[in-house]
Amino acid sequence: MDEQELIQGCLRGSSASCRALVESYGNLVMSVALNVVGNRQDAEDICQDSFLQVFRHLGRYDPARSFKTWLLTIVYRRSLDMIKKKRRFTEFSVRARFEPAVAGRGGNPHPADPEPLPSDLLKGLSPRERTALCLWANEGYTAKDIAEVLACSSSTARVYLFNARRKIKILLENGHGLLQNS
Amino acid sequence: MAFCKIVDVLYSALPLRPLRDLLIRKHMEACPLCQARLASRAEARGLFVAPYEVGNAADLWGRISARAAQEADTPDREPAPAGARWRWAAAAATAAVVAVTGFWLLREVERPGFDAASAAPADRFQIDYVNVGGAPAQTFVYQPQGSDTVFVWAQKTP
Repeated sequence: MDEQELIQGCLRGSSASCRALVESYGNLVMSVALNVVGNRQDAEDICQDSFLQVFRHLGRYDPARSFKTWLLTIVYRRSLDMIKKKRRFTEFSVRARFEPAVAGRGGNPHPADPEPLPSDLLKGLSPRERTALCLWANEGYTAKDIAEVLACSSSTARVYLFNARRKIKILLENGHGLLQNS
Repeated sequence: MAFCKIVDVLYSALPLRPLRDLLIRKHMEACPLCQARLASRAEARGLFVAPYEVGNAADLWGRISARAAQEADTPDREPAPAGARWRWAAAAATAAVVAVTGFWLLREVERPGFDAASAAPADRFQIDYVNVGGAPAQTFVYQPQGSDTVFVWAQKTP
Protein backbone atom coordinates (compact mmCIF):
# COMPACT_ATOMS: atom_id res chain seq x y z
CA MET A 1 0.00 0.00 0.00
CA ASP A 2 1.45 3.40 -0.92
CA GLU A 3 1.36 6.53 1.21
CA GLN A 4 -1.71 8.10 -0.41
CA GLU A 5 -3.68 4.85 -0.05
CA LEU A 6 -2.71 4.73 3.64
CA ILE A 7 -3.88 8.31 4.10
CA GLN A 8 -7.16 7.59 2.34
CA GLY A 9 -7.60 4.53 4.56
CA CYS A 10 -6.99 6.61 7.68
CA LEU A 11 -9.52 9.17 6.47
CA ARG A 12 -12.08 6.37 6.10
CA GLY A 13 -11.29 5.35 9.69
CA SER A 14 -9.47 2.12 8.88
CA SER A 15 -7.53 0.94 11.92
CA ALA A 16 -5.18 -1.13 9.75
CA SER A 17 -4.22 1.95 7.72
CA CYS A 18 -3.63 3.98 10.88
CA ARG A 19 -1.45 1.21 12.25
CA ALA A 20 0.51 0.95 9.00
CA LEU A 21 1.04 4.71 8.99
CA VAL A 22 2.39 4.62 12.56
CA GLU A 23 4.65 1.71 11.70
CA SER A 24 5.95 3.52 8.60
CA TYR A 25 6.71 6.81 10.29
CA GLY A 26 6.94 5.90 14.00
CA ASN A 27 10.72 5.58 14.12
CA LEU A 28 11.24 8.79 12.16
CA VAL A 29 8.90 10.76 14.41
CA MET A 30 10.45 9.27 17.55
CA SER A 31 13.99 10.06 16.41
CA VAL A 32 13.19 13.67 15.47
CA ALA A 33 11.36 14.26 18.78
CA LEU A 34 14.18 12.63 20.72
CA ASN A 35 16.81 14.70 18.92
CA VAL A 36 14.93 17.95 19.54
CA VAL A 37 13.95 17.46 23.20
CA GLY A 38 16.83 15.13 24.20
CA ASN A 39 14.66 13.07 26.53
CA ARG A 40 13.10 9.69 25.79
CA GLN A 41 10.02 10.03 28.00
CA ASP A 42 9.12 13.41 26.53
CA ALA A 43 9.87 12.17 23.01
CA GLU A 44 7.40 9.30 23.48
CA ASP A 45 4.71 11.71 24.66
CA ILE A 46 5.40 13.98 21.67
CA CYS A 47 5.24 10.97 19.37
CA GLN A 48 1.83 9.88 20.65
CA ASP A 49 0.44 13.42 20.64
CA SER A 50 1.71 14.02 17.12
CA PHE A 51 0.10 10.90 15.67
CA LEU A 52 -3.17 11.59 17.48
CA GLN A 53 -3.12 15.10 16.04
CA VAL A 54 -2.38 13.71 12.60
CA PHE A 55 -5.36 11.33 12.76
CA ARG A 56 -7.61 14.08 14.09
CA HIS A 57 -6.67 16.62 11.41
CA LEU A 58 -5.77 14.42 8.47
CA GLY A 59 -8.61 16.07 6.52
CA ARG A 60 -6.58 19.30 6.50
CA TYR A 61 -3.55 17.66 4.89
CA ASP A 62 -2.87 18.99 1.41
CA PRO A 63 -1.89 16.02 -0.84
CA ALA A 64 0.15 18.41 -3.02
CA ARG A 65 2.64 18.72 -0.15
CA SER A 66 4.92 16.04 1.23
CA PHE A 67 3.21 14.04 3.97
CA LYS A 68 6.52 13.48 5.73
CA THR A 69 7.19 17.22 5.91
CA TRP A 70 3.64 17.89 7.18
CA LEU A 71 4.09 15.23 9.84
CA LEU A 72 7.49 16.59 10.88
CA THR A 73 6.01 20.10 11.14
CA ILE A 74 3.54 18.76 13.69
CA VAL A 75 6.31 16.91 15.55
CA TYR A 76 8.46 20.06 15.63
CA ARG A 77 5.63 22.20 17.00
CA ARG A 78 4.79 19.59 19.63
CA SER A 79 8.45 19.45 20.61
CA LEU A 80 8.60 23.23 21.00
CA ASP A 81 5.46 23.09 23.15
CA MET A 82 7.06 20.42 25.32
CA ILE A 83 10.29 22.44 25.70
CA LYS A 84 8.29 25.55 26.70
CA LYS A 85 6.23 23.52 29.16
CA LYS A 86 9.38 22.06 30.74
CA ARG A 87 11.00 25.49 30.91
CA ARG A 88 7.95 26.94 32.67
CA PHE A 89 7.94 24.02 35.11
CA THR A 90 11.67 24.45 35.79
CA GLU A 91 11.24 28.18 36.41
CA PHE A 92 8.32 27.47 38.71
CA SER A 93 10.24 24.84 40.67
CA VAL A 94 13.22 27.19 41.03
CA ARG A 95 10.88 29.84 42.44
CA ALA A 96 9.21 27.32 44.70
CA ARG A 97 12.70 26.33 45.97
CA PHE A 98 12.45 22.62 45.53
CA GLU A 99 14.37 20.25 43.35
CA PRO A 100 12.16 18.98 40.53
CA ALA A 101 12.09 15.29 39.82
CA VAL A 102 12.42 15.72 36.08
CA ALA A 103 13.97 19.17 35.50
CA GLY A 104 17.45 19.15 34.07
CA ARG A 105 17.14 15.54 33.02
CA GLY A 106 19.08 15.94 29.83
CA GLY A 107 20.82 12.64 29.50
CA ASN A 108 19.80 9.06 30.00
CA PRO A 109 18.06 8.74 33.40
CA HIS A 110 18.90 5.02 33.63
CA PRO A 111 22.62 4.42 33.08
CA ALA A 112 21.97 0.74 32.47
CA ASP A 113 19.39 1.59 29.83
CA PRO A 114 20.87 0.74 26.42
CA GLU A 115 18.53 3.13 24.58
CA PRO A 116 20.57 5.68 22.57
CA LEU A 117 20.28 9.40 23.28
CA PRO A 118 21.46 12.43 21.29
CA SER A 119 24.83 13.95 22.19
CA ASP A 120 25.10 16.48 25.02
CA LEU A 121 26.86 18.82 22.57
CA LEU A 122 23.46 19.53 21.04
CA LYS A 123 22.43 21.33 24.22
CA GLY A 124 24.54 24.25 22.96
CA LEU A 125 22.04 24.77 20.12
CA SER A 126 18.62 26.36 20.18
CA PRO A 127 15.63 24.07 19.41
CA ARG A 128 15.36 25.60 15.92
CA GLU A 129 19.04 25.06 15.19
CA ARG A 130 18.84 21.51 16.56
CA THR A 131 15.83 20.71 14.38
CA ALA A 132 17.44 22.24 11.28
CA LEU A 133 20.65 20.32 11.84
CA CYS A 134 18.83 17.06 12.59
CA LEU A 135 16.71 17.25 9.43
CA TRP A 136 19.76 18.17 7.35
CA ALA A 137 22.02 15.47 8.77
CA ASN A 138 19.57 12.59 9.26
CA GLU A 139 16.95 13.17 6.60
CA GLY A 140 19.02 14.98 3.96
CA TYR A 141 16.60 17.89 3.97
CA THR A 142 17.47 21.05 2.01
CA ALA A 143 17.05 24.57 3.39
CA LYS A 144 13.70 24.79 1.55
CA ASP A 145 12.34 21.65 3.24
CA ILE A 146 13.66 22.75 6.63
CA ALA A 147 12.01 26.14 6.12
CA GLU A 148 8.67 24.39 5.58
CA VAL A 149 9.01 22.48 8.85
CA LEU A 150 10.23 25.49 10.85
CA ALA A 151 7.68 27.82 9.20
CA CYS A 152 10.28 30.38 8.17
CA SER A 153 11.95 31.53 4.94
CA SER A 154 14.61 29.43 3.20
CA SER A 155 17.29 32.03 3.93
CA THR A 156 16.42 32.00 7.64
CA ALA A 157 16.58 28.20 7.65
CA ARG A 158 20.00 28.45 5.99
CA VAL A 159 21.18 30.80 8.75
CA TYR A 160 19.95 28.37 11.43
CA LEU A 161 21.85 25.61 9.68
CA PHE A 162 25.05 27.67 9.30
CA ASN A 163 24.97 28.68 12.95
CA ALA A 164 24.28 25.13 14.11
CA ARG A 165 27.09 23.67 11.99
CA ARG A 166 29.52 26.37 13.12
CA LYS A 167 28.70 25.92 16.82
CA ILE A 168 28.93 22.13 16.56
CA LYS A 169 32.28 22.35 14.79
CA ILE A 170 33.66 24.58 17.56
CA LEU A 171 32.25 22.27 20.25
CA LEU A 172 33.71 19.22 18.53
CA GLU A 173 37.12 20.89 18.20
CA ASN A 174 37.05 21.98 21.86
CA GLY A 175 36.06 18.48 22.89
CA HIS A 176 38.96 17.00 20.94
CA GLY A 177 41.29 19.62 22.45
CA LEU A 178 40.22 18.63 25.93
CA LEU A 179 40.75 14.97 25.18
CA GLN A 180 44.21 15.65 23.78
CA ASN A 181 45.18 17.79 26.80
CA SER A 182 44.00 15.24 29.36
CA MET B 1 40.98 35.46 6.86
CA ALA B 2 41.05 39.09 8.05
CA PHE B 3 37.78 39.67 6.24
CA CYS B 4 36.23 36.72 8.09
CA LYS B 5 37.25 38.33 11.39
CA ILE B 6 35.66 41.62 10.30
CA VAL B 7 32.48 39.71 9.48
CA ASP B 8 32.59 38.09 12.93
CA VAL B 9 32.96 41.49 14.61
CA LEU B 10 30.18 42.97 12.48
CA TYR B 11 27.99 39.97 13.27
CA SER B 12 28.24 40.60 16.99
CA ALA B 13 27.97 44.39 16.56
CA LEU B 14 24.95 44.62 14.26
CA PRO B 15 21.84 45.34 16.25
CA LEU B 16 19.20 43.91 13.92
CA ARG B 17 18.86 40.19 13.46
CA PRO B 18 17.79 40.29 9.79
CA LEU B 19 20.96 42.30 9.01
CA ARG B 20 23.11 39.83 10.93
CA ASP B 21 21.43 36.92 9.16
CA LEU B 22 21.96 38.50 5.76
CA LEU B 23 25.61 39.22 6.52
CA ILE B 24 26.39 35.72 7.79
CA ARG B 25 24.51 34.02 4.97
CA LYS B 26 26.14 36.05 2.20
CA HIS B 27 29.57 35.55 3.73
CA MET B 28 29.22 31.85 4.49
CA GLU B 29 27.96 31.07 1.00
CA ALA B 30 30.95 32.78 -0.59
CA CYS B 31 33.84 32.10 1.79
CA PRO B 32 35.57 28.71 1.40
CA LEU B 33 37.54 29.24 4.63
CA CYS B 34 34.40 29.65 6.69
CA GLN B 35 32.73 26.74 4.94
CA ALA B 36 35.63 24.59 6.04
CA ARG B 37 34.89 25.65 9.63
CA LEU B 38 31.38 24.13 9.48
CA ALA B 39 30.56 20.66 10.78
CA SER B 40 30.08 18.15 7.98
CA ARG B 41 26.95 16.07 7.53
CA ALA B 42 28.76 12.97 8.81
CA GLU B 43 30.00 14.79 11.91
CA ALA B 44 26.51 16.10 12.64
CA ARG B 45 24.90 12.72 12.01
CA GLY B 46 27.13 11.20 14.68
CA LEU B 47 25.51 13.42 17.32
CA PHE B 48 21.90 12.48 16.56
CA VAL B 49 19.87 9.36 17.12
CA ALA B 50 18.98 7.77 13.78
CA PRO B 51 15.44 6.48 13.10
CA TYR B 52 16.63 2.85 12.98
CA GLU B 53 18.08 3.19 16.50
CA VAL B 54 14.91 4.16 18.34
CA GLY B 55 13.23 0.80 18.68
CA ASN B 56 10.00 -0.83 17.67
CA ALA B 57 7.19 1.27 16.23
CA ALA B 58 4.68 -1.55 16.84
CA ASP B 59 4.75 -0.73 20.59
CA LEU B 60 3.98 2.83 19.69
CA TRP B 61 0.80 1.82 17.84
CA GLY B 62 -0.44 -0.01 20.97
CA ARG B 63 -0.03 3.12 23.09
CA ILE B 64 -1.54 5.41 20.48
CA SER B 65 -4.59 3.20 19.92
CA ALA B 66 -5.13 2.95 23.69
CA ARG B 67 -5.01 6.73 24.02
CA ALA B 68 -7.27 7.20 21.00
CA ALA B 69 -9.81 4.80 22.55
CA GLN B 70 -9.57 6.63 25.88
CA GLU B 71 -10.18 9.97 24.16
CA ALA B 72 -13.11 8.51 22.21
CA ASP B 73 -14.74 7.47 25.51
CA THR B 74 -14.50 10.93 27.02
CA PRO B 75 -16.93 13.54 25.64
CA ASP B 76 -15.28 15.52 22.88
CA ARG B 77 -14.70 19.17 23.67
CA GLU B 78 -13.72 21.33 20.75
CA PRO B 79 -10.73 23.46 21.74
CA ALA B 80 -11.19 27.17 21.22
CA PRO B 81 -9.30 28.27 18.11
CA ALA B 82 -6.38 30.63 18.66
CA GLY B 83 -8.20 33.52 16.94
CA ALA B 84 -11.19 33.18 19.26
CA ARG B 85 -8.89 33.35 22.28
CA TRP B 86 -7.39 36.60 21.00
CA ARG B 87 -10.86 38.01 20.38
CA TRP B 88 -11.86 37.20 23.96
CA ALA B 89 -8.66 38.81 25.26
CA ALA B 90 -9.31 41.96 23.17
CA ALA B 91 -12.94 42.13 24.40
CA ALA B 92 -11.81 41.76 28.04
CA ALA B 93 -9.17 44.49 27.58
CA THR B 94 -11.75 46.84 25.99
CA ALA B 95 -14.20 46.17 28.82
CA ALA B 96 -11.48 46.94 31.38
CA VAL B 97 -10.59 50.22 29.62
CA VAL B 98 -14.28 51.23 29.45
CA ALA B 99 -14.79 50.38 33.15
CA VAL B 100 -11.72 52.37 34.27
CA THR B 101 -12.67 55.36 32.08
CA GLY B 102 -16.26 55.28 33.37
CA PHE B 103 -15.10 55.12 36.97
CA TRP B 104 -12.74 58.07 36.41
CA LEU B 105 -15.47 60.14 34.74
CA LEU B 106 -17.89 59.41 37.57
CA ARG B 107 -15.30 60.55 40.10
CA GLU B 108 -14.73 63.73 38.09
CA VAL B 109 -18.46 64.50 38.02
CA GLU B 110 -18.72 63.99 41.76
CA ARG B 111 -16.08 66.66 42.38
CA PRO B 112 -17.37 70.04 43.74
CA GLY B 113 -16.96 71.87 40.44
CA PHE B 114 -19.50 69.57 38.78
CA ASP B 115 -22.20 70.11 41.37
CA ALA B 116 -24.78 72.55 39.92
CA ALA B 117 -25.76 73.95 43.32
CA SER B 118 -22.20 74.56 44.46
CA ALA B 119 -21.31 76.06 41.10
CA ALA B 120 -23.93 78.76 41.52
CA PRO B 121 -22.38 82.25 41.63
CA ALA B 122 -23.89 83.08 45.01
CA ASP B 123 -21.75 80.51 46.76
CA ARG B 124 -18.54 82.06 45.70
CA PHE B 125 -19.28 85.56 44.55
CA GLN B 126 -21.64 88.03 46.04
CA ILE B 127 -22.43 91.65 45.13
CA ASP B 128 -24.52 93.61 47.56
CA TYR B 129 -24.87 96.84 45.70
CA VAL B 130 -23.70 98.27 42.36
CA ASN B 131 -23.92 101.92 41.40
CA VAL B 132 -23.44 103.24 37.87
CA GLY B 133 -23.38 107.06 37.42
CA GLY B 134 -24.56 107.59 40.99
CA ALA B 135 -27.61 105.44 40.56
CA PRO B 136 -28.31 101.80 41.32
CA ALA B 137 -27.52 99.66 38.28
CA GLN B 138 -28.89 96.51 36.79
CA THR B 139 -26.33 93.83 37.47
CA PHE B 140 -25.96 90.39 35.94
CA VAL B 141 -23.52 87.83 37.32
CA TYR B 142 -22.60 84.78 35.29
CA GLN B 143 -20.23 81.96 36.14
CA PRO B 144 -19.84 79.15 33.57
CA GLN B 145 -20.33 75.68 35.00
CA GLY B 146 -17.08 74.17 36.23
CA SER B 147 -15.13 77.40 35.79
CA ASP B 148 -13.69 79.83 38.33
CA THR B 149 -14.24 82.83 36.04
CA VAL B 150 -17.08 85.15 36.98
CA PHE B 151 -18.56 87.65 34.50
CA VAL B 152 -20.24 90.74 35.96
CA TRP B 153 -22.34 92.89 33.68
CA ALA B 154 -23.66 96.17 35.09
CA GLN B 155 -25.71 98.75 33.21
CA LYS B 156 -27.67 101.87 33.99
CA THR B 157 -31.19 101.20 35.00
CA PRO B 158 -33.39 102.50 32.15
